[in-house]
Amino acid sequence: MDIYLPIAEVSVNAGVLVLLGAVVGFISGLFGIGGGFLMTPILLWMGIPPVVAVASEANHVAASSASSVISYSRKRQVDFRMGGVMAGGGAVGALLGVEVFRWLRLLGQADLVVSLSYLIFLGLIGGLMLVESVASVLRQRRGQPPAKRRDRRPVWLYGLPFKVRFPRSRLYISVIPPLALGVFVGILSAIMGVGGGFILVPAMVYILRMPAGVVVGTSLFQIIITTSLASILQAGRNQSVDIVLATLLLVGGVLGAQFGARASSRFRAEELRALLGLIVLIMGLQMGLVLFINPEDPFILVGSGK
Amino acid sequence: MAIPALPPPAIMAPEPGPTVSAALTDANVRVTSAFSGAQIVLYGAVFDPETRPSDVVVIVRGPDQPIRIARKVRVAGLWVNSRPVVFEGAPGFYMAASSRPLTEIASFSTLRRLGAGIDHLPMNAPEEERIETRYGVRDVVVSRLGGDYLEWRRAVIRLKEKASLYATDHEGVRFVDRGLFRAEIDLPTSAPIGEYQTEIILFQDGEPVSRRARTITVEKAGLERWLFLFANEQPWLYGIVSVLIALTSGWLASVVFRRR
Repeated sequence: MDIYLPIAEVSVNAGVLVLLGAVVGFISGLFGIGGGFLMTPILLWMGIPPVVAVASEANHVAASSASSVISYSRKRQVDFRMGGVMAGGGAVGALLGVEVFRWLRLLGQADLVVSLSYLIFLGLIGGLMLVESVASVLRQRRGQPPAKRRDRRPVWLYGLPFKVRFPRSRLYISVIPPLALGVFVGILSAIMGVGGGFILVPAMVYILRMPAGVVVGTSLFQIIITTSLASILQAGRNQSVDIVLATLLLVGGVLGAQFGARASSRFRAEELRALLGLIVLIMGLQMGLVLFINPEDPFILVGSGK
Repeated sequence: MAIPALPPPAIMAPEPGPTVSAALTDANVRVTSAFSGAQIVLYGAVFDPETRPSDVVVIVRGPDQPIRIARKVRVAGLWVNSRPVVFEGAPGFYMAASSRPLTEIASFSTLRRLGAGIDHLPMNAPEEERIETRYGVRDVVVSRLGGDYLEWRRAVIRLKEKASLYATDHEGVRFVDRGLFRAEIDLPTSAPIGEYQTEIILFQDGEPVSRRARTITVEKAGLERWLFLFANEQPWLYGIVSVLIALTSGWLASVVFRRR
């Protein structure tokens, strides 16, 4: 059934959108990420204007994350204090990001920055995840002991002022690194239409050295706050949230997320990470490809500049 | 006694010149959630007692929409967009249908004067380069009338034609019977909202002899209209509502699944 979207002003197939929402929701529940990095490019390929895709996707990510965070919180796998600090940074980042995106659109460079961000961040993180997890899967197959985690925490993390206790993460660190991480992810969420879980999760593990058990839940908690805010800001500043599009996506998304969360217990953590790394890498390369191939037409219409 | 003067010519029945008349099957297009473009049929008739050879041209001009177009340039091995050029006064939709190729119907200057045909589309391009500050962004080129201006203009038309927003149809006006003609106006899904000025021009011997104007209104209706107005008039509330929908449905899904 084709449906005309009131803000995107294009006609799309409603069934396809619900199905896509469900597939991405499943992946989101499976890996404990928002899934925005998958959905936003798909929406762009479907012909949704980039501005609307990015803004409406923030809404969809908030829904899928809300769907899975509750079960994490029941298992006491959410560090609300850490998530709150990062969300504080995320709020500032989202504010900045929405303004930056608005400015980029007026310059006609929004597409370029979106493609570049995908290529750099997804390519880098996907590649690193893939290498790391494949290595650890191979070590297990050969029966070698897992690589020793360098438990020596970086000095700079402890040398900074404003230390705060995070009991659930068993950390006593400065609030500056999580705050800065929040700002960074907030900006990305506004520009790329992603929650930023694919950056937050590795950053929390490798930079903040949080225990693996609370990482995913905390990341989801912070993502809900950041994307909700980004969504309200996009609607308020740019009038670019398409509520019909977002609703169609999240109907499939919240259901898919529940099935995904159940399926996740059937896989090993390393295998899941390898698979996620592969998906992230492919998406990054696919989005970045447009920067390298010769354009069909040397000219491009860059939106009405509403 | 004076000889009665001849009645003034105004009283004499005027020589019935050729005229054109036209009607639209649908002058009001409602954009609802089921909207997937629209086809409007224009019917018309040529009234000419002398049955001279007639040509009919139908011009449909949608609401103006500033066009921002950029050129892809290669920088350090990457294809990036140049600074966008803004064309003002270009219509968001334009269709020129005629019974024969326009160049055979009338001379270049006549067509230019009437603004008939894509080549004569008045895209307001200021005479010289103008760089302004717009929406707080500096150095925005509003229009550039340089050596490659024509290339940019052709690109605008090419891209708009690709999106089915601009069209030229040399056989778009078909005579179905003596003096009776029809033309089809295809509005794509991306057709802009607003008033479309439709002009029907009758040509004889290369001169426009009769003109008629009709208006098509494309407007959002029903839920689409309500949501669009909501998003634009109360954007903050709209944003909060959409986030509440998202969070509530996420929460609901997790509650429902927990029970099972």
